[in-house]
Amino acid sequence: MANDLALMLPEIIVLLTAVAALVAEMLRQPRIAFYAAITGLALATVLTIPLLGENATAFSKTFRIDTLSVWAKLVLLPATILSLLLVRAELGGSAREGTAYVLIIMITLASLIMTGAGDTMLLVLGILLAGLGSFALVAYPRTDAATEAAMKYFVFASVTAGVMIFGLTYWFGGTGSTLLSELVVLEKSPALAAIGFIAVIIGLGYKAALVPFHFWAPDAYEGAPVSIAAYLSVIPKIGAIFALAQVVRDLPVESGWQWIIAVVAVLTMTYGYLAALGQQNVVRLLAYSSVAQAGYFLLGVIAVGSSPLAFEALIVFSAAYAAMNLGAFAIVMQTGRTLDAFKGMGYQKPLAGVAMVVFLISLAGIPPLAGFVGKFLLFGAAMQTGFTWLVVIAIINSVLSLAVYLRIVVPMYQQTEHQHPGDVAITHTETIPLVKPVWLAGLFFTLFIGLAAQVLLGNIV
Amino acid sequence: MLPIVSLTLFLPLLGAIVIMCHRNAAAEKVHKIGIITSALTLLGALWMWARGVADAGMTDKGFSQVEQIDWMPSIGAAYRVGVDGISLPLVLLTALLFLLTFVYSGKVRKQPQAFVVLMLMLETAAIGTFTALDAILFYVFFEVSLVSMYFMIAGWGHEDRQRAALMFFIYTLLGSLPLLLAILGLYLGGETYTFDMRVWIENPPLEGGAAMLALIAMLFTFAVKTPVFPFHTWLPAAHVQAPAAGSVILAGVMLKFGTYGLVRFALQMTPGAFREAGVVVLIFGVVAALYGAFAALAQTDLKRLIAYTSVNHMGYVVVGVAIAALTLDPEIRAIALDGSVLQMVSHGLVTGALFFLVGMLQDRAQTRELDQFGGLLKTVPLLGWSFMLAAFASLGLPGLAHFPAEFQIFLATLREAPWAMIVILGIVITAGLYLKAISQVFLGVPNEKWKTMPDLDRRELLTMGPLLILIIVLGIAPSWVLDVVHQTTTTLAF
Repeated sequence: MANDLALMLPEIIVLLTAVAALVAEMLRQPRIAFYAAITGLALATVLTIPLLGENATAFSKTFRIDTLSVWAKLVLLPATILSLLLVRAELGGSAREGTAYVLIIMITLASLIMTGAGDTMLLVLGILLAGLGSFALVAYPRTDAATEAAMKYFVFASVTAGVMIFGLTYWFGGTGSTLLSELVVLEKSPALAAIGFIAVIIGLGYKAALVPFHFWAPDAYEGAPVSIAAYLSVIPKIGAIFALAQVVRDLPVESGWQWIIAVVAVLTMTYGYLAALGQQNVVRLLAYSSVAQAGYFLLGVIAVGSSPLAFEALIVFSAAYAAMNLGAFAIVMQTGRTLDAFKGMGYQKPLAGVAMVVFLISLAGIPPLAGFVGKFLLFGAAMQTGFTWLVVIAIINSVLSLAVYLRIVVPMYQQTEHQHPGDVAITHTETIPLVKPVWLAGLFFTLFIGLAAQVLLGNIV
Repeated sequence: MLPIVSLTLFLPLLGAIVIMCHRNAAAEKVHKIGIITSALTLLGALWMWARGVADAGMTDKGFSQVEQIDWMPSIGAAYRVGVDGISLPLVLLTALLFLLTFVYSGKVRKQPQAFVVLMLMLETAAIGTFTALDAILFYVFFEVSLVSMYFMIAGWGHEDRQRAALMFFIYTLLGSLPLLLAILGLYLGGETYTFDMRVWIENPPLEGGAAMLALIAMLFTFAVKTPVFPFHTWLPAAHVQAPAAGSVILAGVMLKFGTYGLVRFALQMTPGAFREAGVVVLIFGVVAALYGAFAALAQTDLKRLIAYTSVNHMGYVVVGVAIAALTLDPEIRAIALDGSVLQMVSHGLVTGALFFLVGMLQDRAQTRELDQFGGLLKTVPLLGWSFMLAAFASLGLPGLAHFPAEFQIFLATLREAPWAMIVILGIVITAGLYLKAISQVFLGVPNEKWKTMPDLDRRELLTMGPLLILIIVLGIAPSWVLDVVHQTTTTLAF
């Protein structure tokens, strides 16, 4: 038991951090809540490092401390810190600022629970906890758009969670246990395994915004504050994808789960980018782009169990995705939500312009940036599993994605002499403190992971 | 031992970083840094040339001057660079063309810093593509060149630049992604997981159907890049809209990525499949060469005309490589490949010169339409004679750069696949179209409008001089390049 607690130390610290932030907020000290949150999460990150290479379970096999869950902490905790900086920059000074921090830490905790889930009940717990926090965050601004988005989000979550729990009863019936590791016994009854898996992919697919369970995402991102959208597009999504990887580890291949994921991956990538092509609102565009990126993650999930590259690919791409997506959202925060706001931005803010170009072409998967290394590993993993056709579709979608991301890049370098100087000045000259460090960090990691992925790869055991 | 290859490779990048650190430097200073950096790079390339490719002490599986350090050992990727007789001439060509481009672009006043930085990045990417001996490294440089060229066209191009840049980027990215697929296939097919191109060349990892699929993917990539009909449609748009400097680099250096890849990847890594598919590639080459010539004949825009002759000339290279794949006779293979590599170098020099000259003409007249000119030889004799020399070289006149190259390709073709000699028709057509263009622009009644047109100035002469001299030297005495190429082409066995 004591050993179990030691293994879960990072999660416990995150929970205590949430409590500390809540107490500070109740005392009307949002500044203290903010600093407590940052310190706690940083401490949890540091305490995760000794766990690298660990392969154990805690609390009678219900929680896994393995490569995936340890690396999930190393990616999600720093990403949460960066998100908190963005949230502070956008919502700082508003009435219930501290509650946003508390909710964010709780969602991160929920995501961590999902990534280490060794038991279906823990999986359900993670999804519900993350969902509850997310509705509240989306509804934070109290505008009509935000309320509508939160409502959609809530209804969708309730239905998908209900379906998922219903489907999980089949697994429980088949194995007599809620443990994921018991799923191997379903080898003889593939239909049962498939029914349960479809239910799981509905529940997790909603959280990761996979097509066709993505409908809430663009509305929620658009209605929510930009910083919240940035957070929701990264942390719960990676959590849900890693959770899916935990589920399929012991699921017999006979159930056809690889093909179910392959179909969802094709739909997600293709629909995400096609829908993004038509957007005028940059936040919506990035929302659809993050839908499509989830499809690429699935290439790594397919390879779990068949390719040694699978975990490496998932981990490297998640770190890359966190860096470039948070970076891109940070630039949107300081520039504006419409494509028009980006007109001439590359000339007025050269460094931010270069950073945005780097984030976008990294999202498109162009070397030598982080997104390329991640996608390259994902492609390799899927090919090794025998899904070359899926890689071909992913590659065609990469071309489509370039067209999507260039929609932002092209106006950035358009001349704006004909505009009145005053027009532009309003949108571009104000720089919100705390935002710049975030995209600088994103820029650093996008380049660093691209050029020195070995630092990650060497530690993935 | 000094790591000359790496120094040459990263010098331009270093120059780019220096410029980025001096955000407020004056335009002259920025251009000066560009010229100095690329001059040092050329020195590095010459040093590599002096070391040669046959030094026994440094030779490693057919490559010499190999330098390597670990990069991603977990997946078998490393930083590996080196040269052989096929890549070394291209490195030298690249370094020379970039230096001349910097000399020519000294007058760029629109965002000079960004321009020079992009050009320097492009130079590193180009040299990297030719020297990389690791497939991932190759792919990285290959793609970085696309990004740099996209911004070059979008930022400094002519009237319709945004559309042309977009088309270029998306088209060539679509083209290059199949290569990634092929690289992954070769990686997963090998006995040990490595991205070392030398290992793949020594022991082709794939055979049978898998090799054929990989070959098809690679052929697609390099056909888009070369470009081969019907994948050439991005080329005229990109060329016409690109600034003169961009056109020179695009035609002189970047088109060679396609034919270089055709030799390095398709021919050397999947030789068996290439032999089976050789006839198809040969047909594509013949069609491309003829199509390029006919399409050029129909152009009224001088820049577009030269762009289409590139399709024609690169078609000959494809023919040469296909012959090398088909033949079982090592002697014919060596001749075909010698001709192909020399053709790449000649095309870089000749087309580079032609695009510079069109750029100079456009700077003066703001138009490139053939029928707008007339009798320019009297007004601007230096420009006129330079153009004539380059045009004659381009149509394959003996004594000028293209002749020895095309002659060897045709010689090998005649011995291996005589029916493909119909490609020689291309020469006749290009001769006709260049004579037509010369007579329209430089001969005939002088157009009153251009009476005051100034002739080449010092900077422009400095740009053109080395190119024209090399075109003649390479035409009369090609052996100093051929000897280097030959050292490698004779050792290839499959």
